[in-house]
Amino acid sequence: MHTWRIARPFVLCCTLLLASWPAFAVNSDALPRSAAKALDADKVCTSCHDSSYPEPVLDIYQTPHGVTGDPKTPLCQSCHGDSKKHIQDASVPPDVVFGDRATVKGIKGRQMIFKPSAPSVQNKECLSCHEGGLRTHWVGSQHQVNGLACATCHSVHLPKDPILTRANQREICFDCHKEQQADSHKFSTHPLDAGKIVCSDCHNPHGSTGPKLLKKNTVNEVCWQCHADKRGPFLWEHQPVTEDCTNCHTPHGSNISPLLKDRPPFLCEDCHNGPHQSSDAIGPGLTGSAPNAPGRACLNCHVMIHGSNSPAGAFLHR
Amino acid sequence: MKSNRRDLSISVLTMAVRGALATMAAVVAMPQAALADGDPGAAALINPDNYVEIGGIFTSQDSSKFGEYNGLDKKGGHVLGNFSVSGGDSYAEKPGIDRWSIYGNNLGTDSRQVGAAVSAQDKWSFSIDYDELRHNITDSYRTPYQSSLGGNTFTLPSNFGTIDPNGTASLTANQLAAYHQMDVYSKRQNTSISAGYNFNREWNLKFDYKHIEQTGSKLISSASDSISDGLGENVAMLLTPTEYQTDNFNLAVNWGSDKGFFSAGYYGSLFHDDYNHLTWDNPFLNVNTNAGSSPESMSTPPSNQFHQLNFSGGYFFTPATRLVGGLSYARNTQNESYAGTYTPGLATPPISSLNAAVIMKHADLKLSNQTTQKLNLSAGFTYNERDNNTASAIYPFQTIGGDSPTPVNIPLSWKHTQAELAGSYRLDDRQHLHAAYNYDKFERWCNTSPALYAAGGSQPVNGGTYPTPTSCAQVPKQVDNILSLDYRLMATDTVNFNAGYAYSKRNSDVNPYFYNPMQSFDEGFENMGFLAFFQASRKENRVRMGVDWQATEKFDLSLSGKYTQDDYDATLGVQQGKSSSINLDATYAYSEKATVSAYATVQRRTRDLTNGQGQYPLQPLTALWTNNLTDNELTLGLSAKQKGLMGERLDLAEGITYSLGKTDYSTAAGANYTCVDSTTCGVFPTIKNEMISFRISGGYKIDKASKVMVGYQYQHLTSNDPTQYDYYQYGYSATVLPAYLQAPSYNQNLVYVAYRYDMK
Repeated sequence: MHTWRIARPFVLCCTLLLASWPAFAVNSDALPRSAAKALDADKVCTSCHDSSYPEPVLDIYQTPHGVTGDPKTPLCQSCHGDSKKHIQDASVPPDVVFGDRATVKGIKGRQMIFKPSAPSVQNKECLSCHEGGLRTHWVGSQHQVNGLACATCHSVHLPKDPILTRANQREICFDCHKEQQADSHKFSTHPLDAGKIVCSDCHNPHGSTGPKLLKKNTVNEVCWQCHADKRGPFLWEHQPVTEDCTNCHTPHGSNISPLLKDRPPFLCEDCHNGPHQSSDAIGPGLTGSAPNAPGRACLNCHVMIHGSNSPAGAFLHR
Repeated sequence: MKSNRRDLSISVLTMAVRGALATMAAVVAMPQAALADGDPGAAALINPDNYVEIGGIFTSQDSSKFGEYNGLDKKGGHVLGNFSVSGGDSYAEKPGIDRWSIYGNNLGTDSRQVGAAVSAQDKWSFSIDYDELRHNITDSYRTPYQSSLGGNTFTLPSNFGTIDPNGTASLTANQLAAYHQMDVYSKRQNTSISAGYNFNREWNLKFDYKHIEQTGSKLISSASDSISDGLGENVAMLLTPTEYQTDNFNLAVNWGSDKGFFSAGYYGSLFHDDYNHLTWDNPFLNVNTNAGSSPESMSTPPSNQFHQLNFSGGYFFTPATRLVGGLSYARNTQNESYAGTYTPGLATPPISSLNAAVIMKHADLKLSNQTTQKLNLSAGFTYNERDNNTASAIYPFQTIGGDSPTPVNIPLSWKHTQAELAGSYRLDDRQHLHAAYNYDKFERWCNTSPALYAAGGSQPVNGGTYPTPTSCAQVPKQVDNILSLDYRLMATDTVNFNAGYAYSKRNSDVNPYFYNPMQSFDEGFENMGFLAFFQASRKENRVRMGVDWQATEKFDLSLSGKYTQDDYDATLGVQQGKSSSINLDATYAYSEKATVSAYATVQRRTRDLTNGQGQYPLQPLTALWTNNLTDNELTLGLSAKQKGLMGERLDLAEGITYSLGKTDYSTAAGANYTCVDSTTCGVFPTIKNEMISFRISGGYKIDKASKVMVGYQYQHLTSNDPTQYDYYQYGYSATVLPAYLQAPSYNQNLVYVAYRYDMK
């Protein structure tokens, strides 16, 4: 708590400083490209793609891509290409068609269904502005290798991109990750269904140096963001805990609470055969066996399973 | 169907809400410009979607499991409030760059969230968010202890007395009368602040801060010394307080240009626990024989700090060739006092606090090349190290059973080195091939030779010689080599196929003479030939396949599956693990405004374990026994949506989900065991959880701005785990203080009604 007392003024100063930055912000009138010019340029598209268009188009003006006062905001043709042939003949697709096969329907009313451009072509347009940051490790990442386009997950024309909305994100991810969808309905889960944890709290789908596209360098660093009580360092450590939380836990859901891969005592016996009663067979109806390990089994006594900071905790009892 | 707004009974509510929102609506009302002038419908699309919802949720049953995370653990009414209001001079074709928003969700429940954000795009941004999460753990816990949720002292009533020598299966009337029910929960209140500032097109600064205030308790077991040798260790279920505060900071300076990017940042995480221990009266204390002690104490998680410097960058040699990498350096420390974490007289700590320090290092580098559209190549390297510099010492203490070992704490260090060579090749416009080789090395050691000498000197102890840097690790080094191949095929314009295979072989160096603190009590020795699954040599085969078929413009079907098999090369321990899953998913858009979707997922997992009876590494095993785990899971889902019914006024959504999880354990024992009950004979009762959930919701537009939303949900859960829960019932065991915990099951009916007002 002492450290927080020291840090608190720093946090407040940072907050006040950042909150006062509007005073220093450049007046948008001074920007090199006016909003009016941007809207004029977009008219080549919006004159046809108006509010009657079945797919969301004009909604993009509610999004960061629609802040026409920002000179970095793209025009329609910044992303879709000049599309000269499309402008002359609506049955010819634009230069760049975003989306994936399952979602792009084109102008249904006019019986035009455009095949989306190759993911590499689509992604090139997005990455021309969105390189770096979270996308640092996109090249060679699982999603890039598997041919995903940015628009496979992102819907940039919608007022609120569903994948950036905590209440909706998991549904987008579950489109492909069916096992994780099933896991989320199991008995023991993280609060995914309640929208309190979303996939991107732990994963960076754009690529990472961690395992399983995790945001941090290691599994444990991800878990410690919320479970700092398990971080230690403890006087008495438990090896699998210090190495990887997923040695025992399965984070997306389990039939065994709390998010366990196996139940005690067998969870313990996956790693111990010798100490204490772990060498004895355990099973109902067997004489000569150890007690049937009811309740929490080994964890009835070895309660400090994540580590103990008691001088009497060598056996993780205290 | 046409609807007259004045005919609806909620018109009073409508007017009230509208009145309350008049100011807000005025603030966000935007003048229309060019797009809207020529296209009246455009106004609705280019102005922010603002709304306020007010209503109520009604639940039919108390259930901490149904309300585990959603704040609906108690039956009755809950206020429902949601809102989202945005504005700024950059909406509706206005030329500005400023935007702001405020929002709130689930107001009226313990799952509420409110926040606000303001930004000048490409200049600066600031946001604040408050989010609550109450994790309801159980409502069936009963205890005789006098304590409050979040407290760390557990005392028994003065007339409770001690447990009868026959154990807890025969509690006295006073003891039974002392029991009372407690709802057990742990609540998190998260406050986040994020800010960013762009100095120019190349430089920006980002700052994030999150404060997690956690209160309440979780269940924890406790073991105490016995009232007599015959009963062994005795167990009481307690509550460990979660009175925690965590502060996470992130500050980063970023630079980016056409030639590359660079980021330097600091991540700090400060964890504070209001307590460092909990104490409880030992009801099993035998005042006549003086066995055991009371009160007893145990530690709680120590307050700790984590400070990390992060650097990452990339350089683009050409648009097709780039090098990216990163470095991290972190210190994880804690120096929580031992005072109170043990019973004085039963332990003799050599120091008063640990002053623990772990250094964590990370480095990564990746070179990628996309010279041609056909061929992508990459080579990467990742290094992670956990260097535990905490001191070792001897910590004599008295065990629960009254023995006096002299264990040495073993701060473990490890380093993890990974390398990858990968290539993707486009065979033609429809076929892609990806191949990769991964090298994965994990090494363990300790910086504790002096303490280990103190424990064992230069002489072997219990058959082992410990004073080497790797003496603390059973497997000082393991190396995994992984080959993988993935193939994608666009068979036709409507059929996509993918398949992948990976083979992995892990070789482990085994040190049979490693030191485990429990060995100070002649325990802690793994049987000769036993290895923990995560560090045993093993071969792994992984296969996956998937096909997507867009049968028509309206009907999509996908089928996917995967299979993994691990074969472990260990005499004892996990021998084999298998997991498989099959997923079937279909969507049918039977009209432009209506879809129906269905999915089915079948998962199966097995684990075969062979262990041996007999203790200590050099003794022959007297018997082998096996235990098999089988986990079967079935998940089914069916959902439908209809929009624009009743003259474009009504939207409906329905869904039904069914999940069934069954986990079975069976033990087959060798010559030293006798099957005395043929009905069980080593087979445990199935852990079974079955849930069905049905929900229907609808939104009816009263007019352009108003909507009434009504929903109903039925959810039924049956959970069953006798091996765990029977133990806590009165009369089941003589060695546990009953806690009356029950496997949660419920039949929940939920209804909600809300009025939504949209502001454009």
